[in-house]
Amino acid sequence: MKNTMSSLLAPKVSDRVLPQGGTHALNAGRRAKRRSALLANLNLAAIVVVLGPLIIYPLLRLICLSLSGTHGLSLQAYQTFFSNPETRGVIGTTLAILFASAGLASILGVLIAALLFFKPFPGVRLLTRFLELFVAFPSFLVAFTLIFLYGSQGSIGILLQRIFHLQQAPLNFLFGSGGVILAEVIFYTPFVVRPTLASFATLDMRLLEAARSLGAGLAMVAWRVVLPMAWPGIAAGTILCFLLTLNEFGILLVLGSAHLVTLPVAIYAAATVDLDLPTAAAGAVVMLLMSLTLYAMYRRVSRRGSRHGR
Amino acid sequence: MDVDLRTRVLPARRGRWMPAARWVPRIGGWSVAGLTALLCIFLFVLPVMVVALSSVAEHWSGTILPTGYSMRWFERLGSDDWDAVATSLEVGFSVALLGTALGLWIALSLEGRDRRGMGAVVDALAMMPNGLPSVVLGLAVLIAYHKKPLDISGSAAIVMLVQLALVLPFCYRCCASALRPELQILREAAASLGAPPARVLLRVVLPQMVPALRASVALGFALSLGELGATLTVYPPGFATVPIVVVGEVERGYYLPASALSLVLLAVSLLALCLIAARMPGRLSQSKS
Repeated sequence: MKNTMSSLLAPKVSDRVLPQGGTHALNAGRRAKRRSALLANLNLAAIVVVLGPLIIYPLLRLICLSLSGTHGLSLQAYQTFFSNPETRGVIGTTLAILFASAGLASILGVLIAALLFFKPFPGVRLLTRFLELFVAFPSFLVAFTLIFLYGSQGSIGILLQRIFHLQQAPLNFLFGSGGVILAEVIFYTPFVVRPTLASFATLDMRLLEAARSLGAGLAMVAWRVVLPMAWPGIAAGTILCFLLTLNEFGILLVLGSAHLVTLPVAIYAAATVDLDLPTAAAGAVVMLLMSLTLYAMYRRVSRRGSRHGR
Repeated sequence: MDVDLRTRVLPARRGRWMPAARWVPRIGGWSVAGLTALLCIFLFVLPVMVVALSSVAEHWSGTILPTGYSMRWFERLGSDDWDAVATSLEVGFSVALLGTALGLWIALSLEGRDRRGMGAVVDALAMMPNGLPSVVLGLAVLIAYHKKPLDISGSAAIVMLVQLALVLPFCYRCCASALRPELQILREAAASLGAPPARVLLRVVLPQMVPALRASVALGFALSLGELGATLTVYPPGFATVPIVVVGEVERGYYLPASALSLVLLAVSLLALCLIAARMPGRLSQSKS
């Protein structure tokens, strides 16, 4: 904005001051500027041409396929997808798993971030670096390792059995919604911890001290001072966590059972097991709408947060 | 003298004998910090350690720690497994390099534009795969390219295509975050001294962006190595990547071979991260300050 303003204003002022030769040079400069603007737009158009076959074209084909019936437009595929007995309650299951795991992960993530930031211990920096690397750790691997830990023959179950002298191993929840929620909480909590820590780092600590010295208790400082100021970062992290949990597939593939079918699993099964691409496409379009809505929310919140931060 | 003064002005507070009212919260603070550390290790560090431990376990079921250790699961990795490792490496490197190049191009083109009009469209498009479920993107790519006019569903190209789309937002953001205002000043200085744009790009901008480019390649590589949903949806026979083989073995109950292969995957990915991004943190923190 500021750039365009100055480029608009500058020639006018100098037109008056400069003699004839100067305006020629200015015209040339203006022409050069116009040419570079044209080049920049051409460049952007070229990027769209490259991104087209990568993202736009496949998604358009997906939507077209989901809407095409034997005679032109139809919603047949959507009907088939949602009337399949195996996937009937699929949206309900997806949302239940989503709110249980992403909700827990958000609360735990904010709590852990607060503890790491306000009660640091030696090794906190190492731990936060580790949490940053966690993003590159594949999610299905987390689910897989839980089998060794919390499976019916896993170490933690056996440990509990030894401690409490039980007849049987006490843990038997892993393959099903319990295990899926546990794995998703473990995998997605760091995604909340990182942005929350980042937004804590921008806090003005003097305000916290002022609140404390004016007699506010810990809870009041947390609720009335820290939370409102760190809110954009926390909100962005939470929405991102919901989005990624909604899109999760690997964990469900490893730990999900036959009666735990979420949207991605149902889409995958329709496409590769039933080999019914139109039906899978219908489910995928529904899923696309859900995730893109969440993603639009995330972008709006995180942009507002970054502007706020500056 | 000084000490005397302090003890007189501030009795008890700085003294050796702290009242219990000050000791208790301090112990409370320590125990809270300790509990946090334990919780974090239990939740996040333990799973990573379990992969390493289980891959060298002779047998691990029904006991707290593995019974016996051996390298036999690594020795038993067959040609299929190594083929998968090779495919993963090949796809990973191409995707990381292509994604970084594309991300750099988009970042350079969008730099300094206000986020409206064309700029906003391109930015939203490049970031969109971040919000897409990988299975959905995989299905879309499969539908678009599994028959004429363009059929690439029989080659590794389709895996690369889908992973490139998934990795692009990360690479783009990595590059864009390196284009700081200071760099703009350097560019303008070089341009005003008469350097043509190509030379400004090659001699001023790119050298400044080396850490970000390395980070972008490393991130793209690691993400590509671990990608499962989209790859599983599109992969043609003979082009299984490591995650696909691992999940297949887990589903059939071969846990220990699966963890040996995942450890290979993790080691390769960590090695690449270290090799490519080893100097990144120092440089980044330097440039920030």
